[in-house]
Amino acid sequence: MNGIKEYISRDMIKWLRSPVSVVSMLAMPAAWLVFVGLALPVTFTGNYLDFIVPGILVMTMLSSSLNGGTLLMFDKILGFLNKFLALPTPRESILLGKILFITIRGAIQATIILVIAVLIGATILPPAQYGMIYLILFLFGFLMSACATTIALYLGDHDSYAAFNTMISMPLFFTSSALMPYDVMPTWLSTIAHANPLSYAIDAVRAAETGAVPVLQIGLLAVLAGIVIAICMQMFRRVTV
Amino acid sequence: MNAIETQDLTRYYDTLCAVDHLTLSVNNEIFALLGPNGSGKTTTVLMLTTLLRPTKGSASICGHDVVREGEAVRKRLSYVPQDMAVDIKLTGRENVLLFARLYGIKNPQDKTDEVLAIMDLSDRADDLIRTYSGGMRRRLELAQALVHEPEVLFLDEPTIGLDVAARKKIWEHIRQLRKNGMTIFVTTHYMDEADRFCDRVGIISHGKIAALGTPTALKADLEKDVITAQVSGTLTGPVAIDGVRCVGRQDGEITFTAENGREAMPLITRALESQGVTVTSLSMREPTLDDVFLHAVGTADEPGHFDFQQFRTMLRRRK
Repeated sequence: MNGIKEYISRDMIKWLRSPVSVVSMLAMPAAWLVFVGLALPVTFTGNYLDFIVPGILVMTMLSSSLNGGTLLMFDKILGFLNKFLALPTPRESILLGKILFITIRGAIQATIILVIAVLIGATILPPAQYGMIYLILFLFGFLMSACATTIALYLGDHDSYAAFNTMISMPLFFTSSALMPYDVMPTWLSTIAHANPLSYAIDAVRAAETGAVPVLQIGLLAVLAGIVIAICMQMFRRVTV
Repeated sequence: MNAIETQDLTRYYDTLCAVDHLTLSVNNEIFALLGPNGSGKTTTVLMLTTLLRPTKGSASICGHDVVREGEAVRKRLSYVPQDMAVDIKLTGRENVLLFARLYGIKNPQDKTDEVLAIMDLSDRADDLIRTYSGGMRRRLELAQALVHEPEVLFLDEPTIGLDVAARKKIWEHIRQLRKNGMTIFVTTHYMDEADRFCDRVGIISHGKIAALGTPTALKADLEKDVITAQVSGTLTGPVAIDGVRCVGRQDGEITFTAENGREAMPLITRALESQGVTVTSLSMREPTLDDVFLHAVGTADEPGHFDFQQFRTMLRRRK
């Protein structure tokens, strides 16, 4: 669609020109990788780093998406959105450009995390499996960035959104299969973890690492992403006309 | 076919009527919509630029309906809101180029250079906006708006917050655009600017047009002299004199309009002194657009009904 590329490149230039935000958003997943991945004494696997990498990759996408929720909200508050809406460019491009940018940004950060993981001892995989992993990360990115953007548009102000972001990100991560397999979880946690969309993505990445094609999880993520993007479009139309 | 045409254009925010059956035609001129805060200026502009749906009535830009033919309308107009939204981490050139590409024009690079030159920004084009002054940012927004050669240009408070020199420069650019055949719709608080630079003004109050015409005609229509009395003591009651209207009260200064100022002056003095107010001086002058405005919109004597809850709802909706 017209305009999507332009909206993405605008956000990309702005992001790359603030080195602090580029680095700071990487600090958290990198710290998990090194301090937990290398240090935690676990008995259920011989290489905990390899076990935790999928969780950290998905976490990187998650935090990029949650941070990205504020982008469209600020465009609205600062008056950019009205200028863009008054252009003949299709209005949906604004939203789709935003969701794509947030996902691409997350994928770039996930790539850096992946490189760090390999450098500190994670197993190197064949290229086809990396391709599969990126497909999963992209689907998950669409899902979460559309979610975050919808909620930010709904809440409408930055303080409420920041509170929501703090409230949701850690619990979502801890109740997923990121840190331990289902069979060592307490039953109650395992039940929650099975329903957590983060787990779909993490399990799918783990399956991809063994060379399998996780059709079920990819299908689920694709359907969920489709539904949330449709809801997001509705929300966007509601706040713009 | 007029560039801008509205018929009974109406917009409610819940029960608050922001724009009330507005009927207007604007064509190849600089038209200024004047009005106090909250009188419906921005709401009108938002409806005309397809950013807000009218509750009732219709409006068209170059013959295209703003509700049914949104995209055709947006192809013909440019809108500069009052927020000064330019990306400070981008250079001037990048900001304009973004719009050139979004409009899908053929040679975005060349066109960007051209509009930057028109707005006298060529030598600073590759600096980040962070380093631009307010006036330069406003000119950059005009450059963004001009990049697709619109037929109609909407400017919401184009000179707000700018110094005198920057304001003058913006108006010179607007005049030049009008000479080249563009229709320009401005909203402003600054009466002197509307008086000097606009071809026609509409004064809007509570969502309705209270006066409409060229600044000269409006002043002549008033057919009145403006009398200002410097007083000491506070006036409590109303001043009732035939043919004289009290249009403004500030501390120590009361303004009247009267058909015959010379005859009214002694009457005013007597009326004020009978209420225990001492008149220290009286002066009379020709009316300005300010007086037309006060006459049309009403004065502090007749405060409009102000519902705070409704006002907040409206602001929230407009965000």
